Order: sequence, then structure tokens, then C-alpha cells
Amino acid sequence: MEAISNQIILGVTFALLATSVLYLCTWAFKSQAFGWAASILNWVCFGALTAAIILRWVASHQMGIGHAPFSNLFESLVFFAWTIALIYLIIEMATWIRTIGAFAVPLAFLAMLYALTLDPSIKPLLPALKSNWLIAHVITCFLGYAGFGVSAALGAMYLATGQAKDPASPRALLLDNLIYQTVVVGFILLTAGIVTGSIWANSAWGTYWSWDPKETWSLITWLVYASLLHSRFMRGWQGKRIAMFSLVGFACVLFTYFGVNLLLSGLHSYATGK
Amino acid sequence: MSADQPRKPILERAWDLFASVKLSFFLLLLLAVISIAGTLIPQKEPASVYVRAYGEAGWRLFNALGLDDMYHAPWFVLILALLAANLVICSLNRLSLTLRILGKDPADEAAAMRKPKQSLTLAGSPEANLPRVKKLLASLVGKVSTAQDEERTTLFAQRGGWSRFGVYLVHTSVLVIMAGGLVGNFWGYAGHVNIVQGQTISQIVLDNGQPKDLGFALRLDKFTVSFYKNGMPSEYRSEVTFLDQGKPVKTASLIVNDPAEYRSIDFYQASYGTSVKEVLANYIDPQGKSHQVTLLNQQWSPLPGGGQAGIMAFREKVQMGSMYSGPIARILYQKGQEQPQQLTAFAAGTKIPMKSGPVRFELIEAKAAPYSGLQVKYDPGVWLIWAGCTLMVLGFFMAFYFSHRKLWLRLSPTGQGRTRVELAASTNKNRHSLARLTARLAEQLSADQKTGE
Repeated sequence: MEAISNQIILGVTFALLATSVLYLCTWAFKSQAFGWAASILNWVCFGALTAAIILRWVASHQMGIGHAPFSNLFESLVFFAWTIALIYLIIEMATWIRTIGAFAVPLAFLAMLYALTLDPSIKPLLPALKSNWLIAHVITCFLGYAGFGVSAALGAMYLATGQAKDPASPRALLLDNLIYQTVVVGFILLTAGIVTGSIWANSAWGTYWSWDPKETWSLITWLVYASLLHSRFMRGWQGKRIAMFSLVGFACVLFTYFGVNLLLSGLHSYATGK
Repeated sequence: MSADQPRKPILERAWDLFASVKLSFFLLLLLAVISIAGTLIPQKEPASVYVRAYGEAGWRLFNALGLDDMYHAPWFVLILALLAANLVICSLNRLSLTLRILGKDPADEAAAMRKPKQSLTLAGSPEANLPRVKKLLASLVGKVSTAQDEERTTLFAQRGGWSRFGVYLVHTSVLVIMAGGLVGNFWGYAGHVNIVQGQTISQIVLDNGQPKDLGFALRLDKFTVSFYKNGMPSEYRSEVTFLDQGKPVKTASLIVNDPAEYRSIDFYQASYGTSVKEVLANYIDPQGKSHQVTLLNQQWSPLPGGGQAGIMAFREKVQMGSMYSGPIARILYQKGQEQPQQLTAFAAGTKIPMKSGPVRFELIEAKAAPYSGLQVKYDPGVWLIWAGCTLMVLGFFMAFYFSHRKLWLRLSPTGQGRTRVELAASTNKNRHSLARLTARLAEQLSADQKTGE
């Protein structure tokens, strides 16, 4: 079952590449035929990825070490790709602007590609991860990351499609509003992720906040997006600036997710146990 | 501000500054930038780490500026205080406006209709239509107020006014969380204690190195580590008994993620190890004669034929490539009043090439006991943190997903016995959902019309 799950993950990675190309063609050729193909393939990817995650969960139970598949970088990357696909598909259903997919879906593909370079074997949970808060913490954080990822994709689209030239056009205003809406979703979920993480830390390490690099970077990300939300109340911060801001914010997200683990040591480095 | 305008008094200008979103924006980003620096510069390391990295002078500067513990440095706390002041003043400034908006008399609102965006015509006179329209508006929006102006009747209804308080809830929650942090900082403490299996302790070491009496005692009855089949640790468990005035009052199993609490003090499983009590060893004296001796941990024991020795450090199993695998001990040996010497001892019967000293020790058996390292915490502010977090998330939903919407419907006769309905609406945010609401209202007005015919 683990093997089937890994096969699906491999397949979905290449299917997401194909989906990304189809969305790019939709944008480049302004063709709805490509758009429909991209959407259908995207839904197939999302469904297959959901199945792969569930299979992996079941497989871990069959191995007698059952736990939710959120315990290491490999599993989190697969889940990250899933959350991006989910949030993007919701936006596609609401707006039918498929060009967004040309910017959002490649993120899911890259996450999956990174996952393929890692060891996919299912391992038992370390004592520190044995907590009911694992699921709530990981789901909220990664849905939040995905919200920010999609807002960055919208920001990139805003800049790449030259909306800044006519920021009062309906398309530009819609994108601007979508960037804001996805940031709000991401912000609420990131807050929930930090709160669940604090509750967990309080029962595992005896402190709800210890300025561990991962915690601190999640706070930095929170502060950056908090200032983005406040910038809405200042004149001249719509449009191009918000688009760029969403990219800066997502850079913080990426550092919180990858940079901290790779470059800074701390309590979240589950590769090195004491 | 032009030059001939009189400058505002300084206090008023300070108030304006602290009431501005620009300051919040700046402070939030400033905190982000400082926090980034704090993750790049090692924090709370021993002085030697900084001396090695930045030199003696660099370390003194670091220490003076608090850069080695910047999240607790006075200037960092000051920035947090500025943010708190900004929050309070900005909120107070806006609150009066919000209360004014919410305190408006609905009758006055009805009389002051916004510019209509939409209009439609209904069969029947305004008088005949009025009850239906009123009922529909009440069910879709809320309580209806009416204003009469010659032949025209204006209906007004609003909903979601309470959502205007969402932002204040969020701002309050930040202050509550800050207060929780302060309470923990001033009245709480954190420390740790290592307890050898079977040992009872009543004192812990605080993070600042000071000892602290608990006021009760704690005994480690048993410590166990269990492993998965692949050798990864699966659980660290300390069975403990709390003793009050010498009497056992509570037993608990401490595992990671499941602490125990006694008299509001929390104990967490944090680390573990083995602590040696005594070691049985062969002592090979300066004449090459072997004696069996018992050495104690951190204590001198006299040796046969003069001199004394004790164990400084002991490890049950050390792997030294293919050369050696087994216990290892660092032993301090003193002959008469001479300078004590450090010796390394391996298990008896192993051939390890060593510098030949005056004497030698070979380890036979060690009496070791596991110890458990517990994190200890007393934090009376933690409930404020959770209260603040809850308020914040509730506040977000209020502030981001609800809006204060106002709707006006103006009914007037068209002259052919029909009614003209003009529709106006306003919202403080989220225009899309307002557009959906007005569309539904217009649709139902016309739909009722069809069934009414």
C-alpha cells in the first residue's frame, strides 16, 4: 500500500508538470480548450493526491506505527502540494480565471518534485511528535502556507500580466481583491497554526514560546502579513505594491518552511534527536 | 502642512502619530526585521561563543546592547510597548467614530438614503406593496425603519453592525497576550531538575542558575525508554510520586507531550541519562600489583598501599571504531599531597595501547542508575495567552468575514397604479457579498411579484 501511494505520488508529480504547462498554454494562447484540459487534469491530480495521502495513512496503521502522514519533510511537501491544489481549485471555481493556474500550479509541482528527492519510507513517530496537536498544527499551518502561496501566485500574475499599467481596470481590481482575500485566509490559518503550535509546545517543552528559530520565523511571517493587511488602510498601497508585498511575504513563508530547517538549528529539526 | 498654519501642540502631534496606521505598519515591519536578526545572531549562548566569534571587544559591545538575548533586551521590550501604545491609541481614536456610526438613529438613516443603484417596478400601489416589501427586507436584512416624504416611503434596514467591533477584539487580544507574557515573566519561573531513579528532590535549578525550593518533594520511582522495532525511541516515561510533608500525595506518569502538575507547578519529560553510583575496578599499583577496589562517583576513596581515587565521568558504552567498545571512565588519582592526575580506564581484559602511567585502573562492573531530566515551570499567565489567542481568532472572523451592511428601499407611485422601487446599499467592507445580497433582494421582490399576480 505504501508502494502504491509512492507510485501515485510519482505519477502526480509529472501530471502536475503537464497541468502547469496546460495552464501556461491557456494563458499564452488565450484558449479555453487548454483551460478545460488543465482544469480536468488538475482535479485528477488533486483526487489522486488525496488518495495517496489516505493510502499512506492506512499503510502506517497496517505497519503498526499508525500516524497521520504529517511527520517529516517528505510528507509535509506532499501535503503542501495538496493544500495549494485545494486553495487554487476553490479560487478557480469562484472566478474562472484560469491564468492564475499558470502561476499557482507550478508551486504544487515544485513541492512534489522536491519530495521526490527525499526518502519516502514511512517511519514511526518520535516521542515529541506523539500529540493530538500534530494534525491540527500541520493542517492549519500548511493551509495557511498554501493561502499565501496562491496569493503570491496572484501577485506574480498581477505583475506579469501588466495590471499595474491600468490598476483601475476590473481585472486589476479583482486580482488586487483576490490577493487580499487569500492573504486573509492565509493569515487566519497561520495564526491558528501558531496558536496550535504554542499549545503543543506548552505541553511538550513546558513553554508556549521559546524564540526557537522556527517559531520566530513564523512570527516574522505573521508580522509581515499583519503589516500588509494594515497597508490596505494607507493610501497608495493597492495594486502593484500589494502584489510585490505578497511575493515578499511568501519568501518569508518559504524561509520559515525550508530555510529554518536547512540553515538554522532548533527544536523543529526532527532529523537530529537528542 | 503649510508654513502659515499654526503647529499643533506637541502632545496632540504625539497622539496623532500614535493613532496612525503608518506607525503600526512601521513597528510591525521593524519587529520583523529585528526578529530576523535574532535568528541569524546566536542567542543566549555562553560568553565564550561570542568571544570566539566576535572577539573580546565585540562580545562586550554585544553584551552591552543585549544582542546576545535581544528578545528580552530593554529596547526590544520598548518597541513592544510602543506597539501596544499604538494599538490602544489608534483603537480609542477609532472607537468614538464606530460608536457614533452605530449610535445613529435608524429613523434618521431612513431619511438619509444613499444614491440608488438599481430600480424596478412592481404592480399595485405603494400602499399595497408596502407590507410585503417590508417583510422581505426584514427577513433578508433586519429590523426595518420607515421614513415618509410626501408620496415616497423609504425603508431602511441594517445588519452586522457588531462586526465593526472585530478589529477592537483583535487589538485587545494582542494586549491580552502581551499581558500574559508579562505575568509569566514577573510571577512565573522555569527551571530543570535531574532525578536519579529512586531519588527524591525538593529543589530545582532555575534557568538563571539559582536553586529554588518547590515546597514539596518529588521522587522518581522508575524511568523507562521504549523503542520501536527499527531501534528508534518510541517513549520516554518517568513514574513519579509527589510528596507533601513527607507523605505521598500523588503519582503520575510523565511522558513527552503529557506533563504532570502539582500545586500549579508543571513537570515535563525533557531528557534522560545514566548516572553512575560506584564502579568495581582493578587497581594496578606502582609495583604492578592488582587490587580489587570500589570507586565512588565524585568522591575520594582510599587505595590500598596509599593514595586515593574517584570517578569524574562515566559512560556505559563507548564505541571507538573497531578498536574498543565498552564502558569508559575518567578517574582522578592522587598520591599523597601531589597534584591529582586524570586517567582513562577501560573494561578489564581489553588490550588498548596506552601511555603507561604510574598506576592503572581496569573497570569490572559499574553500578549505574538511570536519571530523568525534568523541565519545571510555573506560569500564572498562561491562561491569558490562551484567552488572547481565542479572542484573536474570533476577532479575525468578525473583522474579515462579517460586515456592516445597510439597505434602503424607496417606494413611490409611478402614476399608472404601479410602484417604483429604488434600491440603495452600503457596506464597510466586502462589496462582493453586498452585491450578492442586493441581487437576492431584487430577485425576490420581482419573484414575489409574479406569484402575487
